[in-house]
Amino acid sequence: MIGFVLRRLVQLVPVLLIASLGIWAILYAVPGGPVAGLVGENATPEQIAAVTAQYGLDRPVVVQYLDWLRRAAVGDLGVSIYASEPVVDLIGQRLPATLHLAVAATLVALALGIPVGVISAISPGSWIDRALSAWSALALGVPTFWLGILLILWFAVDLRWLPAVSGYVPIWEEPLTAIRNLLLPAITLGVYVSGILARFLRASLVSELRADYVRTARAKGLPERQVVGIHIMRNALLPFITIVGLMMASFIGGAVVTEAVFTYPGLGRLLIQAISTRDYPLIQGCIVVILILYVAINLAVDVLYAYVDPRIDYG
Amino acid sequence: MNRAWNSTLWLLSGLMARPASAAALLFLAAMVIVSLFADLLPIDPFAQRLTDALKGPSAANWFGTDELGRDIFARVIYGARTSLSTAAAAVVIAASVGIPVGLVAGFFGDWRDTVLMRFIDVLLALPAILFAMALIAVLGRSQMAAFIAVGITGIPNFARITRARVLSLRKSDFVTAVEAFGGSSGYNMFRTILPNAWSPILVQVVVLCSVAILLEAALAFLGVGVAPPTPSWGEMLRTGKSYLYEAPYYAVLPGVILTLTILSFDVIGRALASLLEDRHDAGGVQIERTAS
Repeated sequence: MIGFVLRRLVQLVPVLLIASLGIWAILYAVPGGPVAGLVGENATPEQIAAVTAQYGLDRPVVVQYLDWLRRAAVGDLGVSIYASEPVVDLIGQRLPATLHLAVAATLVALALGIPVGVISAISPGSWIDRALSAWSALALGVPTFWLGILLILWFAVDLRWLPAVSGYVPIWEEPLTAIRNLLLPAITLGVYVSGILARFLRASLVSELRADYVRTARAKGLPERQVVGIHIMRNALLPFITIVGLMMASFIGGAVVTEAVFTYPGLGRLLIQAISTRDYPLIQGCIVVILILYVAINLAVDVLYAYVDPRIDYG
Repeated sequence: MNRAWNSTLWLLSGLMARPASAAALLFLAAMVIVSLFADLLPIDPFAQRLTDALKGPSAANWFGTDELGRDIFARVIYGARTSLSTAAAAVVIAASVGIPVGLVAGFFGDWRDTVLMRFIDVLLALPAILFAMALIAVLGRSQMAAFIAVGITGIPNFARITRARVLSLRKSDFVTAVEAFGGSSGYNMFRTILPNAWSPILVQVVVLCSVAILLEAALAFLGVGVAPPTPSWGEMLRTGKSYLYEAPYYAVLPGVILTLTILSFDVIGRALASLLEDRHDAGGVQIERTAS
């Protein structure tokens, strides 16, 4: 097991290297790179030269990349140009907020997606199956930012139950306030994902229902609830772990728009700020951290999967 | 050409036979026609009347007016142009890179496959919206930048779907026969295999339209899409969000049209996939998007 995890960790290295190189190539190889954004339009050639030298941008790109890589390897992602603070600190301040939202949205997605998927799988083709499938299609088709706006209009503007602007409150400090702040963004993200989960779970349950062991279980005279609840669910939920993991991973970077709707202080909004101020070290840092979290969650899913499913050989 | 015409007719009649996809098709056709001929309509998306700012829907302004007194309905119509042209440009960019990549990777299957598909994996590793934002940060904010950013994010799916289809066709007798007769690899890829791989690609075109429109709107919503005053649905939602208390219709009505457009493409994509699946293998059809 430990060998499996180690091997997967080693496999991550080339992925991260290639990805970081890709980000570097995009940000630095294109004309009008960081210096143009830093000095403004009316800069003199001397100012441009000074800023270029100050950030070490006059060195060959390969040297710059290797230097950045050497620092990044020990957790130094440079200093934000705009905020003049270490990029690692800025990201560290935002990370808990993003993780809160990711967990909350996953909970909403599971709470909505599992019942919808199970109910429509039990009676495929019935009117309730079709109604629930239509609901899944709707959940997938409605843009998250529009759904967010509608939720704000309804729950914040009309009913005044929840705040229109969601701040970050750690759940262990003030649980109620934290939930009030998280509810709307989590629903916005979670509804979309529940559509994917429901559709996936339905397909996987419907195919399991035809399996031989289900016929055996029924032939033994087991009650239907036990057949579905124990025999089928255990097998259908296995691939489900992968999907849930992928969803959580996509929340880390993919919640950019939802965070913007609710002005939620997460990693996504930090990245938008970084892009709008052309803060290159911060852009790189955010994207690299998002990537690392993304692959780390994927790794965790693979390990969990191998642990839960005895048929998988991870030796 | 006659065969292509017959297939088109067959698909259209298949789509029209289902109520949901027929409605979606008619809605999109209306959107395309209106946005093509918007100049002929008695509407102006740029005319400002500050005295009439933020007036609710009325007979004169069906969707009300925005913060500068511009007609929201007119801006929604012209916004359709932005959305649909982004979708078209994205499909052209993604298909013209992704399909050849998939063809070459699947056809040769050697080091070319490894190199090309690793490239595709890297493109897939980043969420589309982050990739598009990073690209726009570099290229600057313009309609062209939005086209390119959205188009590039569509490349991986085209490449993967084409490759999967090529892999299953590669060992077919008719492909071997062309090789035996001395047909070049290029001829074999583009004239023999590609015409037999169109069904999953067609589904992907429709799926990408929906993804591209959503992504363009999301970028505009974040303030990095097409620059104002060009009307864009995402930009309207962005501004409308600032006036939720005074003018709730401002952020709601353009969103209705945006959602209907995306849903229409989704519905048609799914209907096409199941129509083609009945006839032949449509390949791994991917409808799902990443969360945004």
